[in-house]
Amino acid sequence: MASFQGKKINPKHFHISQLKFYIILLPFAVFMVLPIIYIFTTAFKPADELFKFPPSFFVKNPTWDNYKALFELMAGSSVPASRYLFNSVIVTILTVVISIFLAVSAGYVLSKKNFKGRNVLFEINTLALMFVPIAVSIPRFIIIVNLGLVDRFITNILPIIAMPIGVFLLKQFVDQIPDPLIEAAKMDGAGEWTILFRVIIPMVRPALATVAILSFQSAWGNVEASTLYLNNESLKTFAYYITTFSSGGSSTVTQGITAASALIMFLPNLIIFICMQSKVMDTMAHSGIK
Amino acid sequence: MKNNKKPKVQYSRSDILSGYGFCALWLVGFMVFTLYPIIQTLIFSFSNVTVDSGSFQTESVGFSNYIYALSKDTDFINGIKDYVIKLVLYVPVITVISLILAMLLNSKLKGTGFFRTVFFLPVIITSGPVIGIFIEQGVASFPGIEQLINFESLAGTVPQFLLDALQFLTSEFIMILWFSGIQILVFMTGLQKMDKNMYEAAQIDGASKWEMFWKLTLPALNPTIVLNVVFTVVMQSVFSLNPIVMRITSAYTEQGATGGFGYSSAMAWIYFIVMLALLGVSVLIFKKHERRVKK
Repeated sequence: MASFQGKKINPKHFHISQLKFYIILLPFAVFMVLPIIYIFTTAFKPADELFKFPPSFFVKNPTWDNYKALFELMAGSSVPASRYLFNSVIVTILTVVISIFLAVSAGYVLSKKNFKGRNVLFEINTLALMFVPIAVSIPRFIIIVNLGLVDRFITNILPIIAMPIGVFLLKQFVDQIPDPLIEAAKMDGAGEWTILFRVIIPMVRPALATVAILSFQSAWGNVEASTLYLNNESLKTFAYYITTFSSGGSSTVTQGITAASALIMFLPNLIIFICMQSKVMDTMAHSGIK
Repeated sequence: MKNNKKPKVQYSRSDILSGYGFCALWLVGFMVFTLYPIIQTLIFSFSNVTVDSGSFQTESVGFSNYIYALSKDTDFINGIKDYVIKLVLYVPVITVISLILAMLLNSKLKGTGFFRTVFFLPVIITSGPVIGIFIEQGVASFPGIEQLINFESLAGTVPQFLLDALQFLTSEFIMILWFSGIQILVFMTGLQKMDKNMYEAAQIDGASKWEMFWKLTLPALNPTIVLNVVFTVVMQSVFSLNPIVMRITSAYTEQGATGGFGYSSAMAWIYFIVMLALLGVSVLIFKKHERRVKK
């Protein structure tokens, strides 16, 4: 690679020869963006528009009624909504940080170190990835009971920090880092931790950001722990709290609340995505090796 | 992989130490909360599980859960059939579309940064909390696309199964796009890792863009394609609104012959094995190709 060509993804000027690309890309892009707009418009639809069939895309008479109903319900609950929110924020931050760290260190050694059982471990991980997640919730419950973790705050975090999908993606990305680069770091006297933090992590940043997004979503939207492993209301998460409102039947009020709470649940995902995406798209190109 | 072929492998001490050290924490978490529960479901699948005052009683019933699922539970059998057909159609289409989009997004073009973001966006939709609402409300299907192509007029000239496949793909087109986010990203990374000098050399030798794609890009992307195929199969299979996953979920809480943890576990295992077989076949196809290229 002569220079960092991959970094310069955007030419400075529009040229007529690029037009054919836009013609292909634009319609696809529209499909990708439409659902996001739909989430926003639906949350502000009054009851009659929510039930219209076929559903209309844009809202005609936007209203805050759905949110008013939702907040009224929230004000009536025994444990304040802020408590659930606080739980969720702590759970999500801890899960994302820990799961990324575990996944990248495991991905690094599974890819670059030779030790007995390495390939077997990775194969098992890939297989575990394919098992229907819901089917393991009862055995998980038994383990949590046996470990004495019922009604502990940490039960929100523990079951989801070892992310098979994270290890799977990160191992594949670490595979693409050339060995000589790691050898060179070793020659310069870098220890294992230095290699991990100074060489591996900067180079797999797109994968890290992707895993961060996935991990964030699984932690933020996780209701399994709150439904099955926790009885104490003040330990449960916001996602669980929200589902208690929307799962109560299909009356017009519930539909509106569902739409409103869907937007509330979705917004953090969107924000994280926007923060992360520049890291995903950036820095992929340079291998540092000629 | 390479090490398996050598007769004897010498593991260096430091590699072993750091190897186990670095994945120890993950390994413990994985074993306790993922692997062990999966093995437990295997035991469940051979038993009748009842809840008795808060504790689980298992009573061994041999293969009867499996036999029932495979011979009598028509919902489940048809579900598996539909799933196999769906996957056979989905995987190649997602792979091809994401490759094409990745190549477009990799070209020198003003605004690629914006497009890359937009195409990665569905990642938060498909794994987020709102996908169920979309499907329910019909946002995921594109009204009018069926009318766009006149399927009736093709009826005589094209075999029926091809027509069905085409119809299915057009109606599921948006879902396919939504499921391509990570695959596009993976392909883009693969494309950017490509050696630019190789293309220059090929250009000097007089290769056309088309030839370069088939002779250089595609063979070099083979491992990436395998990765994407595996990823697509996995993501499709454990997607929470997949009909079989929903069937397994609902059987969890049901009682009687078509319910219970035992029966639900048995279905999960049958499903798992079918999935594995499909994955094996699709990986074999690409691996074979890889070997041929290396020669």
